[in-house]
This record gives sequence, C-alpha cells and structure tokens, in this order.
Amino acid sequence: MLAFLRRLAGHLVRGVVMIWVVTTFTFVLVRLMPGDPVQTQYEKLLAQGVSAEQARAQVQVTYGFVPHGSWISQYGDYLWKLLHFDLGKSVSAQGVSVTTEVLGAAKWTIGLVLAGTLLSFVIGVVLGVIAAMKREGHVGSILSLIGSLLHGIPQYVMALVLVTFLTVKLKLFSTGPVNGLIDPGFNGPYLASIISHAVLPAAAFALSSFGGYLLTMKSSVVSVLGDDFILASELRGIKPSIIFRYVARNALLPLFTVLALSLGFMIGGAVFIEHAFNYPGMGAMLIDSIGNRDYSEMSGAFLLITGAVILANIAADLLYSAIDPRVRHGGAT
Amino acid sequence: MKRRAFAGLTAAGGFAAVMGTAGCTDSSDSSSADVFTAIETEIDANAPINPYNQKTNSFQGYNAMKLGWAKNSLTDANAFYPALAASWSETPDHLKLTVKLRPDAKWSDGKPVTADDVKASAAVSFSQGGGAFAVAPGAAGGVGAVKVIDAHTIEFDQSPGSSNNSFLRNVLNMWVVPNSVYGPQMPANIWDLIKTATDPKASKKDQAAAQGKVQALGKKLVEFGPKKDVSAGPFVLQRVNPGEAVLVKNTHFFDADKIAPSKVVLKNYSGNEQIWNYLIAGELDAAIYTATPANVRKKILAKQGNKMISGFSPVAAALAFNQSVKPLDNVHVRRALAYLIDRKLTTKIGESIGGAPSQTTTGLISDAANAWIGQAAVDKLNQYPHDAGKGEAELKKAGMSKKGGQWIQANGKPFTLQLQVPNGFSDWIAGGKSISSQLTDAGIKTEVKTSADYATYLSEIAEGKYQLGFWLIALGPSTHDAYARLYGPSNGWNQFGANVQHSAPGKNGNWMGGAEKATIPGLGTINPGELTNKLAQANEAQQKEIVAKLAAYSNDQLPAIQIWDYTNIQFVNESRFTNYPKNDSDVLRLHPGMWMQLGYIQKKK
Repeated sequence: MLAFLRRLAGHLVRGVVMIWVVTTFTFVLVRLMPGDPVQTQYEKLLAQGVSAEQARAQVQVTYGFVPHGSWISQYGDYLWKLLHFDLGKSVSAQGVSVTTEVLGAAKWTIGLVLAGTLLSFVIGVVLGVIAAMKREGHVGSILSLIGSLLHGIPQYVMALVLVTFLTVKLKLFSTGPVNGLIDPGFNGPYLASIISHAVLPAAAFALSSFGGYLLTMKSSVVSVLGDDFILASELRGIKPSIIFRYVARNALLPLFTVLALSLGFMIGGAVFIEHAFNYPGMGAMLIDSIGNRDYSEMSGAFLLITGAVILANIAADLLYSAIDPRVRHGGAT
Repeated sequence: MKRRAFAGLTAAGGFAAVMGTAGCTDSSDSSSADVFTAIETEIDANAPINPYNQKTNSFQGYNAMKLGWAKNSLTDANAFYPALAASWSETPDHLKLTVKLRPDAKWSDGKPVTADDVKASAAVSFSQGGGAFAVAPGAAGGVGAVKVIDAHTIEFDQSPGSSNNSFLRNVLNMWVVPNSVYGPQMPANIWDLIKTATDPKASKKDQAAAQGKVQALGKKLVEFGPKKDVSAGPFVLQRVNPGEAVLVKNTHFFDADKIAPSKVVLKNYSGNEQIWNYLIAGELDAAIYTATPANVRKKILAKQGNKMISGFSPVAAALAFNQSVKPLDNVHVRRALAYLIDRKLTTKIGESIGGAPSQTTTGLISDAANAWIGQAAVDKLNQYPHDAGKGEAELKKAGMSKKGGQWIQANGKPFTLQLQVPNGFSDWIAGGKSISSQLTDAGIKTEVKTSADYATYLSEIAEGKYQLGFWLIALGPSTHDAYARLYGPSNGWNQFGANVQHSAPGKNGNWMGGAEKATIPGLGTINPGELTNKLAQANEAQQKEIVAKLAAYSNDQLPAIQIWDYTNIQFVNESRFTNYPKNDSDVLRLHPGMWMQLGYIQKKK
C-alpha cells in the first residue's frame, strides 16, 4: 500500500510539473499566433453584412478584454488566477467566464465521446477475439478487412456520410445536442432527445475507431494463443472456456493503455464529428476560440485537455500495474 | 437486475439533468405547427441576455430592439423603418435629433417603454463607446447632450464642432434596454462622468479619470446578464441550450397582432455546411445570407417549399495592392492587371450565385455608383474590359518587356506575383485561382498562397507581408464607410478629431501604401483621404460631387481592382409560413424578426 501511495505521489508531482510546463508553453504559443481578436471580430462582422459603423461600435469594448501589458505580467497574472481556479474571461464572449465556457462545452463532449469510445472498444475487442479465433476461415478474413477499411476512413468522412444519409436525406436523426422545445430536466422526452441526438455522432465515432481496437485485439490474441502456457493448458486438458479467460486477460492488457489514453484525449473532442453534427463540445469551442484569437478560451481549453491526458496517463499506469502482476513486481519480460 | 436498471436510469437522468442546466423550466410543447425556425448567429448558451454583448442571447428583431431598423438603401444611409421610435426629426445641420417613441410600446413585464429607458440605453452605449457614443472630447459626430422632453419624447444634441451626417443613424441604431434592469447597474452620477469624459474644456486629468470610470463600467455592463429576459420586441427568450435558443411570443409587444408564430427556434451553426444541411432537409423557415455553391443551391431549391430571395448587397470583393512592393507602385502595372483579369470569368468561378461582376472600379458597388453619379458618368470611366492588348501596352509603359512568354521588369527580373487568400473563404480561393491562371497565361507567373485562417490573413496583410490579396470594399450605404475602406487607416489616413492625417507606408496600419495625392486628368490634384473624411459631414449634393471625384480617382489610380459586387441571397421556406419579402426589397438586410414587425411572414392557410 505504501509503495502504491509513493508511486501515486510521484505520478501526481510529475503531473503537476507537466501541467505547468504545458501551461507555460501554450501561454506563449497562443500569443505567438498572428492575429488580433478585435480586428478579426470587426472584419467578420463586415463579412456578415453588418455596417462599418455598427461593427466598430460592437467591437469597441472587446479591446478591454484582450490581455494587455508585458508577457511577464500577463503570465504572472495568469498563473495567479490559475492557482485560484480562475481561467479568466472570454475575449470573444466579452467577459463570460472561461471556466463556464470550458465546462459547458466539456460536458457535451464527455457524454458523446465516452459513449463512442466505450462502444468502439467493446465492439473492437469482441470482433478482434472472433477474428483471431477464426483467423483461418472467411469470418476472420472478412472481419480483418472490415477493421482495416473502417480504420482507414477518416472521422470527418464517416460523419459526413452519416449526416448526409441519415439526417439530411432520411431525416431519421437530428443534429445539435437536444431539442430546445422540450422542457429540460429529468424527464423522459428530454432524456430521449439527448440520447437520440447523441446516437449518430457516437456511432460515427465508434465506426471510425473500432477498427483499430479490432486489429490490435486480433494481433494480441493471436500472439497470446502462441504462448507456451496456452499450449500447456491445452495439453493438461483445461476447459476451453477457462483457456479463453487466460487468453482474454493477457490479450486485453495492451488495449487498456490505449483505452485509458483515448479517454484522456476525448476531452479534446472529436473536432470533425462535432462540426459535422453541429455538436457544441470542446472541439467546436477550440476551433471557434482559435478562429477568434480568444487567448483566454484557447488557454483554458488546452489546459483542460492537457490535464485530462495527464490524468489518464497516471490512471493507465496505475491500472496497468494493478492488473498485470509482472509490472507491479517489476518482473516483466 | 432491477437495481442495475435503476442505477442506469439514475445515471442517464443525472446526465440529462446536467445537460439541462443551461435552460429554464417553463413549459413548452414540441408539436406546435406555428413554430418559426431560423438560423441567425452562433449561439453561446453561457452568454448573457444582453444585446451589447457580442455573443448575446438577445436576438435583434426578436427580443432585442432599436429605435429604428436601417433600410437597405443604395444611397441613403439614414433611411430607417420605425421600431420603438414612432417618428424622428433632425435639423438640416444634423445638430439636433428629436425622437418620438411609440406610446403603446411596452416591455414584456408590462411596463411602458419610456424616454428614460432610451436615456439609460444612451448611457450604456457611452460605456461601450464608438460611433455617436465615443467617450472622447470633440469626437466627430458624438452625442453632446441627451434631454428627456416627456415620457415619449427625447432629444439628442450632436457635440459642438462637428455636423456629422452619421449622427441620426448612429443614434437610431442604439440598442434600447429597460432602465429598470440596467439603471441599477450604473452609478447615480453616470451622466456627470460622461459629460466630464467628453468635455473638451475639462482638465486632462479629470477627463482621463472619468474616461477610465466609464470604460470600466462598460466592461461591467457588457458582462451583465439579467436573470430573466425583459424584452420590448415581439418575442421573449424562454430558454437556450448550446444548440438552439427558444423564444416565445411577447403578448405585450405593441404590434402583437402582426406576429404569426407563437414561438421561434433559432438554431446554432458553426459553418456554412450546417446551414446548407438544414436547408436541404427543409428544417429552416429562414436563413441568413450564406455563401452557396451552385450544386448546393440546386439541392436546397429541390426541397419542397424552399425559395430563394435576392437583392443587392452593399459590399464588393476587390483585389487590393500593397503599393510598397515594386512594381505594384506603378499605376501602369495596376492598370495592366485590371485589363488582364477577366472579371466575368473570375466571378463565374468564384461567386457565381452570390456575386455579379463589377462594372468597373469606382469604390462603390455598381448600382450605388450609378445612383450617386449617374450611369453616364460611370460609363465614361475606364471600364477595364478584358483586353490582353491593352494590358500589354500598359506593361510596356511600365518599362517591361516580354521574353519567352514571360514579362520581364526593367531591372531584368521576371514579373511574378503572389496572391494571398484566407483559408475558409471558398469564393476568394476559387476566384484567386482563376486570376492566377489568367495572369500566368498572360505571362505573369502568379501563385496563390493561402493563409491559415482569417485572423492570420488580416494580421499579415496589415503588416504588409502580402503583395496583393482580396479585400472587402464599397461598404455602403454610407459613402464615407465605403471610401474609408480604400482611403482610411489601411491606406494611411487616420482620424484625429474631425480631421485626418496621412502616415507613411508601413506605419499606423498603412499596408496599401498608396500615394497621399495624385493628379487625375480633368480633376487636378486630389487627396482622397481628405475627401473621404469630408463625406462624413457633407450633405447629399456635396456627397455627389465628392463621390464623383473619388470614383474617378479610384478608377484612375486603382488602389484595388473591384472584381465582383456581392448579391444578398437568402433562402426561405413557404411550407409553414408565407408572405416573405420580395426580391430587391429594402428589408433584405434585416432579420426575420424585423420582417415580422413590418407585417411580413404569415401562417400558411
């Protein structure tokens, strides 16, 4: 237990240092990007047909929300606020709290990508095992082919195909996060609306991701099936179901790391899927904030994504040592 | 098993409850046939219900109101439809504006809209700055005093020292917010602060202190979000989630009988493709102007009930030069390019649906130029027809020669160009590629380069990093605004009080690098920046005279080549509602909420 706690503390300290490094890096990076939020906002309004006078009046106050002063003083101010869990105020939304904006977007992304990731993991693992067990026959070949093909289709293509056929042409699903005409809260119609709006984007995510799990799982299972202990188990007459458990447990190990990291990266959002389905998550927010040169929102979004990936890394490491005794005891070969 | 199912339901319910926190809990029904669905702007569920905020949840014409709505006029920037103002009158010198409010106008809480609301709104506008509400002493066209005459009459005086013709439109364009909600957010001495901040006679120290306080108040007010919407418009915000805003009919609205829908749903979008998909699926009753390729337009119009309405748009796409780069400083080179570029072909490739080839370069869209100076005068200007011979003659005048199909400069270097376009602007990218291919065929190797995004493009063009790039010009109907795009800060002229001063290329935002003055045949030496500045204070007759000179100057000197005039294309669906504005209507730049106020959009019987 003490070793575990020491290990956890080490991870957390390294995580905090890593977050500080990435925070500093992104602070500098977003300020090095060419572009002025006020000028961009003004020209965008003109492009939308707003008169020059109106556009000038509308962006006037934005200047007050753009961080000013030397980089050192801005950086000090940023870190001080960060220590107080204050991510600052949005430039493009003129004073709206970045924490509110980021958490508001993250909750939609987490629901969507969590469902998509778990779905793709389960489908990938199950089909991967089948493909490995039936690797000599047509089923294994077909599954491998499907996995390779789907893995090669970019997410945005998958999303566009689903939107075009199931949303625009057949009108079986709607885009956006939920039907606004339904009373929000804990009620059946609202729940159903959220789920029905998330089905297609989650499916797009799962369809374009499960191929990777399938191929990895197949390769892992095939590798384990060739191990001596499986042969020994067969020779000793152990039941196939028990052998299957041996195989699954050993073959799943590499996939846990991939899954844990995927869950960390999911905070970044599935940018193309969110865009195609008009889903208001972190990916959409990040693209929007970059386009608007909203330094505060960009920094806030990057920080959350970084934090999630680092936490996922720590979790993966701890989980791996928990499920694999060879790692726990430092005796992996 | 039961416990698991319950746990799953609870988790799902928790997820739904979390997702639902952005909305309110008023009842609604999802099956109404009289729900009007439109797409207007990007929606931010966290933004305040405050029209002064950029990402507001106050939507103009629906739950955000002004004194008047600007008409889409070719020449009259002061043409307005009444909104909360029933009428207004202005003295000929623009110094005094008297506004009479509609006596029957009410807020959604039942209280009347009064002159005190308008005065409080003027104070909020001062805190935001800009236009008639600039917090600077002697600002051209600024409001000098606001006086409540009676409950429904209010007077605005223009600051002494200027007689700006934008005064009326800037005041009528002000958002009107309830004093009962915004008044308590402002200090009791707000008008004393504004007076000190804008008074040229106040000490510099007092001025600066007052300006600081007003600006700080501006930040506070723009962030301010009332918990409940109090609207004087035809609708009140019911709830908003990141995907859409729902508004319900305001029964206290002064013309409630004209408003057909019981609810309005405004959908969020973050790209044109989403608007196209909604239109192709027939889900929208109306959509804002969207750049639409021909194949997409075909699909949209194939959907039953969808219809396209179009009218002029007071904006043009031009190819602007950085004259600090040789040989673009030579007017003959710029003229040569104007002859070598086929505007019809470029428009067909770049903006076949939403654009019409510009007749020639005047600095105004073709219809506005004809309206201001007459068709005959425009016809007399150089039309720059697509003519390779004339283009070559101009290049020879610039000292160039053609060898092996490539134009060579007098210094022996080949004449090549880099044309910059921003990523995401499909019409500019396609148009740019067409120009590149035309010029390359003519012996000027031209490469199209794409900037990462619009923000990068704007930043780098302002730093003078590009040779030539696309630039929006002719922003009407104000002639001052139109010519300020060519002879404003981007070309060296910056406003100081009522005057302008010219900066050298590369300084104070001057990336176009044009000459401060030039001699135009028949007109003598012209300083276009000074003439542009005079447009702000000129009457109609004076404007005509100045516009004639500036059109001739722009046509002769070509700081930019006008490629196409934009057309305002909008799509509506007549399956649920009818009586939309017709083509070329002067309400086409207004939003559907304003159309409803003007009697358009009725339920289909």
